[in-house]
Amino acid sequence: MRQRITFFHRHEHGIEPTSLKIKGRSISGPDLIAAREHRVTLSLDELPVELQELLRESHELHIRWSPSLSHDTLGPWNSRLPPGLHVFYTPQNDGVVDTGRLCAMLQTAFGEIDCSTTTESFTKLPNDRFSHSTAFQYFHTLDSLSPLSNYISQHACASDDSKCKSWAKELTKAASFDFSYDTISHVVKTTAVWPEGRQTLSIDSYPDHRTEVGILTPDAPARLESYELGVAGLLTVLGEDTKPSPVLFAFPARHKDADASFSSKFLKPLGLHPTLQLQFPTSKPPIDDAYCSLHAYLTLPRTIFADKYQLDDELFLASKNLTALRYISQPVDLEAPDYAMKLWGSSVLLELQPPKKESNQPWTAEIPLHLRYLSPAQGGYRSISVPWPAVFWACTAEDGTKFPSNPFDRINLGYDGLFGPRTLFWHVDPKPEAGGSLIHKVPVPVLDLDKSAWISMGTAAVVLTGFMFVVWKLLSVYLRTGYSSQTSKKEAEKKKQ
Amino acid sequence: MASGISAVVSRPLPLFGAAAILRVGMLLYGLWQDANSPLKYTDIDYLVFTDAARFTFSSSSAWGAEASPYTRETYRYTPLLAWLMYPTTWSGTFWFSWGKMLFAAADLLAGYLVMLVLQQHLHMPTDRACRFASIWLLNPMVATISTRGSSEGLLGVLVTALLWAVLERRVVLAGALLGFGVHFKIYPFVYAPAVIWWMDVEHMRMAPVASTTPQDRERKAESEAMSDRTLMQKAKGFITTDRVKLTLVSLATFAGLNAAMYMIYGMPFLAHTFLHHVTRIDHRHNFSPYNVLLYMTSVPGATSAAPLRIESIAFLPQLLLSTVLIPLVGAKKDLPTTMLAQTFAFVTFNKVCTSQYFLWYMVFLPLYLPRSSLLHRPATRGVPALALWVAGQALWLQQGYELEFLGHSTFVPGLWAAAQTFFLVNCWILGIIVEDLALPGQ
Repeated sequence: MRQRITFFHRHEHGIEPTSLKIKGRSISGPDLIAAREHRVTLSLDELPVELQELLRESHELHIRWSPSLSHDTLGPWNSRLPPGLHVFYTPQNDGVVDTGRLCAMLQTAFGEIDCSTTTESFTKLPNDRFSHSTAFQYFHTLDSLSPLSNYISQHACASDDSKCKSWAKELTKAASFDFSYDTISHVVKTTAVWPEGRQTLSIDSYPDHRTEVGILTPDAPARLESYELGVAGLLTVLGEDTKPSPVLFAFPARHKDADASFSSKFLKPLGLHPTLQLQFPTSKPPIDDAYCSLHAYLTLPRTIFADKYQLDDELFLASKNLTALRYISQPVDLEAPDYAMKLWGSSVLLELQPPKKESNQPWTAEIPLHLRYLSPAQGGYRSISVPWPAVFWACTAEDGTKFPSNPFDRINLGYDGLFGPRTLFWHVDPKPEAGGSLIHKVPVPVLDLDKSAWISMGTAAVVLTGFMFVVWKLLSVYLRTGYSSQTSKKEAEKKKQ
Repeated sequence: MASGISAVVSRPLPLFGAAAILRVGMLLYGLWQDANSPLKYTDIDYLVFTDAARFTFSSSSAWGAEASPYTRETYRYTPLLAWLMYPTTWSGTFWFSWGKMLFAAADLLAGYLVMLVLQQHLHMPTDRACRFASIWLLNPMVATISTRGSSEGLLGVLVTALLWAVLERRVVLAGALLGFGVHFKIYPFVYAPAVIWWMDVEHMRMAPVASTTPQDRERKAESEAMSDRTLMQKAKGFITTDRVKLTLVSLATFAGLNAAMYMIYGMPFLAHTFLHHVTRIDHRHNFSPYNVLLYMTSVPGATSAAPLRIESIAFLPQLLLSTVLIPLVGAKKDLPTTMLAQTFAFVTFNKVCTSQYFLWYMVFLPLYLPRSSLLHRPATRGVPALALWVAGQALWLQQGYELEFLGHSTFVPGLWAAAQTFFLVNCWILGIIVEDLALPGQ
């Protein structure tokens, strides 16, 4: 096990290096106003058995979670995702039939999740574009990490390990949680980030395990490029260092804060074809000297979907301030009702079209969506959850720019694999109304179970009435004239005369 | 003014000219709207057809699979339709509109065949025949559906051609058209029993061209002997050369086309063209009386409480009426009206019903209306029938609008009651059509 704990604070919240007390394998000091990242790197044999078994079948498994309450980002942790649980997975062997082990594990760890097997519930990701995306994707709206917190403290922490249990308990307040495994590194990395706030500085490390503590603040050296992040601060390796070592470094960062915001709402009336409207106070790109385009990445539960054929017409797209549908996971059934499907839903990458003039005028983009039929319910309505999209400017860095992995890099976010390696993501902050959630609740009209008891008998009665009426008419025609033609009957009568 | 209109619709050339101009105008308007408005004139189905054609004729499919129209999601038609759309894959708006031109031309051809039947078989003078054919040719609903790119016009040609071929006693042609029609859209199979029942020796004897061949005399002798025979003999007499020929030709055409398409496109052809109709659940709201019931019962585990799964026997009243009872009572009396009644029954009692289906029976209206009580008793029949037919749809559309656009849960009672009302109105109209079968022959 290795641990890395990083505090990132604003300049004004700095602390005196001398106020840090390093004693043996622990560090303490005054409380900090900072954001905090806690990364734990584990080898397979340090994990619960069922997880070990799952990972031995996996080539790659990445889990990303983002909360439904908005939060500010600080430091190197700028990347955004639609709120919920994102899973990216590549099995060890393509041919192996999935028995549902991954879904079962997800249900054990994250609570009630609508997932049966990777084949049925996951979408396939394109593997032709960039090799670094996984084979399968899954998403589920998930408000809280409490089930995970419980699972870890009961099954992953040793019964007498209070440090592990308090870390697990704190997960419920995290602003992001990542789990990454791949067969090349053969280790599991879990990374949790807590938003800016008062942090207690008191860390004990386990014996024989490396624990690194960093206290960092932004710093802008003279020749810092726009795609770089400069930091300064103090690093301490517990058990090795007797005093913190000052550091000053800069690294390329793919995810940056665009210092802009957007809000999202459904236009009223919603109907069965609701329009998601994204509102922007400005259309200004984050940097002027690069080619930038604004994108919205949506993870749509299967109750709601975008029609790629509808999003194919330039005039139509332009009327909604959209440029193009850049990616949509396949397949998206355009007809099936929700209750006849097992696939989680679909992910969509749309390029938005801000007004041409570089004005600071507010503007909106509209995303036309369609609801599926849901199963009947009492009262005639069901509520579905639709997460806000992640919105970002994708800017191309200069030729020759390399993005070697930086210590805080976050990859496998669903959309990053859809862009080239020289792309910088400038994230636009979602700003809901005060205290608002980043999940839309959409009422969907369904058949009212309270009023439908007589549908079966009623329909039968009406159809039978109509049928009997027509049969009676046919019978009366038959009784008057038989089935033969009128002319031949007349002829026959003539003959008899 | 009125005499001007009357002059246009009473002579073939002005009538067909007007029908063509109407369609060219709508087609051009559609191009303008498509190019200038985010709301499209072109029907979604047309984009499905043209996409399918592109997939069919693309040299290398993007998906690495065989070139097939079924690569396009929701393409549920015979590949022949995609083949017909081949010119739409050429560049330019003109060629892209090829399919719409074809469908519009099909409208005119169907109108022409209706004219032929009216003149040659219902012995109607040209001016009167023109006026009745104009019900189809100048019908704005028909012209709109075709120029928006819906393929129903092709069906219109197929079924009117079938009727014409039968009345002309062109048995092989009729068989081929029947087989082709069923391959194209399944539902024309309902005409098979009517046509076969109609093709008795009497009807086949009364050849359209007056001539007495030895064959005719033989048939006449056969028919005269008929009246005094036993049931067994009657059954034997039912099997005539013409009936066998029609059956074999239509089956061979149907099976041959299916085999050919299966050989080229494999399982997706069967799955999308035919099996889809077996497995589809039709849960989305439409005009069918079964609509809300099907939505309710399509939910897994919802049906256990229902005492009787009536949706599973919904085909019974539909097929009893359209393939047995109506042809049996009506075919020999009046084949065109019988085919109208069959289609009307099939559409009314179907598990799914949209306004495009109404075109299936509309093509027969010019053949039925001349002697119908709808026209002869307008105050008690025609006007109320039209008014109720329109009002039934309006009622349903209003409920549908509240659901689809306002998001109100109108499934029960609104949408359900509207669908039942429309269904009962249709049954009443069907009753009138059936009653008119008993009117003295033409």
